[in-house]
Amino acid sequence: MMVPEFTLSLFTPAVYTGLIAGFIGLLGISFQKNDLSALILTDIVGIAMLVIVAAVGTDLAEALILPGLVVELAEIMAISEVLISREMRIRGAPEFPHLPMELEVFRTAPNFLALVLIAYGVFLTGFTGGAVAGAGILFYAATRKARGLPVIEWNGIAGVSGITWCLWLAGFMIFFIAPQLWLLALFMSGCGILIKVASKMGLIGVLAREEIMEAGGDE
Amino acid sequence: MMDIASLGGELLGQIPLGDIVLYLTPFNLFMFAAVLIFTLLIAISRTETQVETEFGTLGNRRVEVDRAEFRIRRFLAVVCGLATAGAMITGDLFNFTLFVTLIGIVNIGIVAAVRQVEVLDAAFQYGLIAMMASLPLFGGAALVLGSSGTLSLLELSRMGGNPMMIFATLLILMGVVGETGVAPFYATKAEMFRTPGSPFILIIHLSSLLVIVRAIEVLLIAGL
Repeated sequence: MMVPEFTLSLFTPAVYTGLIAGFIGLLGISFQKNDLSALILTDIVGIAMLVIVAAVGTDLAEALILPGLVVELAEIMAISEVLISREMRIRGAPEFPHLPMELEVFRTAPNFLALVLIAYGVFLTGFTGGAVAGAGILFYAATRKARGLPVIEWNGIAGVSGITWCLWLAGFMIFFIAPQLWLLALFMSGCGILIKVASKMGLIGVLAREEIMEAGGDE
Repeated sequence: MMDIASLGGELLGQIPLGDIVLYLTPFNLFMFAAVLIFTLLIAISRTETQVETEFGTLGNRRVEVDRAEFRIRRFLAVVCGLATAGAMITGDLFNFTLFVTLIGIVNIGIVAAVRQVEVLDAAFQYGLIAMMASLPLFGGAALVLGSSGTLSLLELSRMGGNPMMIFATLLILMGVVGETGVAPFYATKAEMFRTPGSPFILIIHLSSLLVIVRAIEVLLIAGL
């Protein structure tokens, strides 16, 4: 028996709990005439949905709760946006300035993902590694820009790319001239092409931004 | 017990993606291709301009959709089309429910930026119904998982139904009906069509139509 008997016995009560909680929530909505209260009560129905999914109690159910929760959040955010927008139309209030939501995950997650990509790229080395690390740099720059933060200008990036390209060439030369130093040659060419490709990918971001600025759009 | 071949035609093949096994039948493939073609048409089309006659004068008024609104609406319409296409082809019950809820969320988004208060009111009511409908939708899928141990439609088609499964499929049917806003909830959705912005508005209609057809197939597979 992989699942303990006690856990199995909890399935039916948990399903009933979810259904009853959902029913109470729906009953509350039917009595409620205030739109905001109805929205909050609807969230209770959503939580009851999570209870039923959690009732299954296997690791698959654990994997299903997460999308359920995300769907729940997305729906409540969409509906509250509609509510705000409707109230603004009715009251004729001046347009609010666009305030990006301040969630901690917006600040930390992009940096972490960029770091993981760069670290994985360095671990891979070579052309593939360069592409992965470059994607990490690009991602970092793009997310900073999307949050309205200044992006550091890497004017010397083309120079770095050139020097590492020479390193790659030198590594290749050593392969032919002194094959007994193959490890050094491998490292030189591997790291050289890593940094070269990564910096080239970073350059794409810088160039694309300049092009967009010249065209006068999206800035 | 309903097998896949009698519902969707000959089983053409399977695409095993780990736990999730896609199965291909002429029915699924036809629906999938139809949605993709419509989504493509939407992606390359421009929005309509409505002309409203003014009351008491001889003048007309143009109701136009500005560029920013047009772009966000086109994006959401394309997402809605892709979600519908996913719901047509998926072989996993939970993925089906997720695609259906995605369609619901995107439908709210398509009309969320309009200026007419009545349309916003309808979108709000539709959103509430869609959110309440996620309880029977996900609850039904969870009960199918709890009583059969699998979410794969291919596996479910080989099993016979039991009372718990029939209850679960009825819950899923309630969920799909609420989420796509067909009868008896069509009143909230009909109002949403008054906003200018065809053909992006049309995807709301098309997606619910196709999802209902697919949902009936899914329910017959899982429940009977």
